[in-house]
Amino acid sequence: MNKKTWPKSNADACIRCTTCMAVCPVSRVTPKFPGPKQAGPAAARFRRPGEPSADDWIDLCIGCHLCDMVCSSGVNVSELNLIAKAKYLDEKGRPFRDWLLTHSYLWGQLGSFFSPLINLLFKNPVIKWMGEVILKIDRRRELPGYEFLTFRQWFNRKPTKGNPKIAYFYGCYTNTNEVDVGKATVQVLEANGFEVTLPPQRCCGIAMLGNGDFKGAKKMARYNIPSLLNTIHSGSKIVFSSTSCGHMIKHQYSHLLSIPSAEEVAQHLFDVFEFLRNLKESNSLNTHFKELSLKAAYFTPCHLRALGMGIPALEILRLIPGLQIDQIEADCCGMGGTFGFKKEKYEISEEIGKDLKEAIDRLNPEMILTDCEGCRIQIRHLTGLKVLHPIQILRDALQNDG
Amino acid sequence: MRYDLIIIGMGLSGLMAAKTAAGEGKKVLIVGKGMGALCLLSNTIDVLGQFPKIIRMRDNLFQWIKDHPQHPYSKVGLEKIEEALNSFLSLFPPPYSFQTVDHMNCLIPTGAGTLRPTYFIPITMVEGTSLNEGKALIVGLKGFKDFYAHYVADQLKCRGVNVSLSDLLHGEITTTYLGRLMEKNSFIKNIGREIKKQLNGENLIGFPALLGVHDPIQVKNNLEEIIGAKVFEIPTLPPSIPGMRIFNRFKEWLIQKGVTFLLGYPVSKVTLKGKKCEGIEVSHPPVTTSYSADRYILASGRFMGGGLEGTAEKIFEPIFHLPIPQPQSRGGWFEKKFFTVSPHRIHRVGILTNNAFQPIDERGGLILENVWVAGSILAHHHFIDEKSREGIEITTGYWATKKAME
Repeated sequence: MNKKTWPKSNADACIRCTTCMAVCPVSRVTPKFPGPKQAGPAAARFRRPGEPSADDWIDLCIGCHLCDMVCSSGVNVSELNLIAKAKYLDEKGRPFRDWLLTHSYLWGQLGSFFSPLINLLFKNPVIKWMGEVILKIDRRRELPGYEFLTFRQWFNRKPTKGNPKIAYFYGCYTNTNEVDVGKATVQVLEANGFEVTLPPQRCCGIAMLGNGDFKGAKKMARYNIPSLLNTIHSGSKIVFSSTSCGHMIKHQYSHLLSIPSAEEVAQHLFDVFEFLRNLKESNSLNTHFKELSLKAAYFTPCHLRALGMGIPALEILRLIPGLQIDQIEADCCGMGGTFGFKKEKYEISEEIGKDLKEAIDRLNPEMILTDCEGCRIQIRHLTGLKVLHPIQILRDALQNDG
Repeated sequence: MRYDLIIIGMGLSGLMAAKTAAGEGKKVLIVGKGMGALCLLSNTIDVLGQFPKIIRMRDNLFQWIKDHPQHPYSKVGLEKIEEALNSFLSLFPPPYSFQTVDHMNCLIPTGAGTLRPTYFIPITMVEGTSLNEGKALIVGLKGFKDFYAHYVADQLKCRGVNVSLSDLLHGEITTTYLGRLMEKNSFIKNIGREIKKQLNGENLIGFPALLGVHDPIQVKNNLEEIIGAKVFEIPTLPPSIPGMRIFNRFKEWLIQKGVTFLLGYPVSKVTLKGKKCEGIEVSHPPVTTSYSADRYILASGRFMGGGLEGTAEKIFEPIFHLPIPQPQSRGGWFEKKFFTVSPHRIHRVGILTNNAFQPIDERGGLILENVWVAGSILAHHHFIDEKSREGIEITTGYWATKKAME
């Protein structure tokens, strides 16, 4: 069976070899989840449309795609899980909490405007206690704060130069919560002779899809795809800095959501470091780096691995003189987007994270670099270390001291 | 993207090829449709297990090469076989190292309670090779279905017990869950005490092979201190934790050396021009990515990983469509009886190569100039019968790559 046949259910291609059981981060830390072999292809053989779902543990699949990656038979295990999860939640009903967590794009602007107040409230133990009791959002989890000036507002105040154009899909979190990631992406691309444009865009919908809300995710995709298609037709490539948004648009829009023209968009969509690696291949990457005396460690996000392009950030960062960068030997941070915020899943999320923390402790770095916002939230939470997107360090290396 | 060398296949032979090329500073891409079979096997290193344990392996190999001129070992040659095996061993410095028992085959107890001949074993399994009847206590865990202590113990004429722990109240537990628990001191204390209570004169504990993924020697030492007896690992049903230790070590080392590691997507097409491979395409719907290199290693394994495929009529190699000499019809694939003395013919089919592991046709003509073939996909061996799987994978992965880089 060839992986080209995705996303058709190919549960019968499973030879039950258990390689997926060797790598699943969830079944490694809890016996409540029977593991990908059981939850995916084995159970899929018994699932019939019209019959009630019996998979009350299916919601524990964190969506890391590791099972898909290691399968030699080409079984789309995590997709089988996601479809089963959607059916289970359709029948059982979704908590309001899940709606709140997956629609944060709706109040991002508002959050930014009132950020001084909201950020205080987010840290308030009483508010967090109420959040846990009423909404089942675990109070041990820090809620990510908003920034007053959004990325888009910052961008619109910038002068333009008229260089070759490159479009940027920045994602909600960059826009309102980690604006510097967006700034750094723009600054690195400009340092390489491009002019960045921002096509009209909304949340990519990955949080909805991860929570089994196919309908919500499709709505997002149906907005984004025509807009990105326009950009492509005007002759511009598109980069993303969030590997989760990137994986969603590049692969899930066409695989799972069957959005028209999503396949065309995917051909012109690149991870920002993949794009820079391509510049390096054609000897046009700006490598006028200054020395950075720093011992950092890099963590590979699940969606970067699922994008199937190696670890381009590591390849580029290793060109910076003075920067010592180790690869962290762990396979999933345990955050799983909204997964780690949920009270009933917090402990599983933390247990998975402990393995990552131990791997970090063995390396003893000053700083962690990783491309995914979920991973950054989790690693800050686990280690208290400074955690950045690798593009921020690349920007620092390109900046002249003057 | 352009590389010096592209390796197709992420099993032991592909990983070994990547190690060999990266060790010489080459720019390497390794592509794996899946993770290979390392997590499915018992992960000791078989070289020629069919020989009795009283002859040194070097002498076995010397004789074998003389008697089987077409066998992959004969193409590698005795000196290079040793060089290749040493290259593998160098990845595993103490404490978790591999070793032989006096440079001869040894017998290790398996999860089926049989004794299996093998050559290099991880240090956690060494005590199992000197197992005497009645001397060992075989320990299983209640709720863990991939290791049956009583069944193993009966075969080995030892005593078996199933330990029940309050930490494991849940009905069913998996290998990786237990392997992770074993790395927690509090769990080791509990299980160590339980095992100690069950001792009845035994001075050796046979334990399923899940003494942790990261630091099995520390786990073994801690457990031995609490029980007061030596502990050895017995391979379980898959997934195999010793296999994960091997895979993880390769991956860590290769990424450190700058190897591009592409796990999860199949090679969907190769571009050939005359007798040269000019590039490969890796399919990740809806995107297809092209990669090219000066040289290529095909290490895609046999039927399970998709290196060879079979239809009702014939067996074929799906990537380069290299010829596979095979019985005329399906009727010739197997012997009349499943458990037969002579190996089934289908297990001997594979890719023909010259002495440098380049693919050739039946008349000896070179098919592709910049492709080399390694691992179990090769013809003229029968690793099941010979008990030579890992040896063939390591030595051909190493030597085919050395030849490719000449």
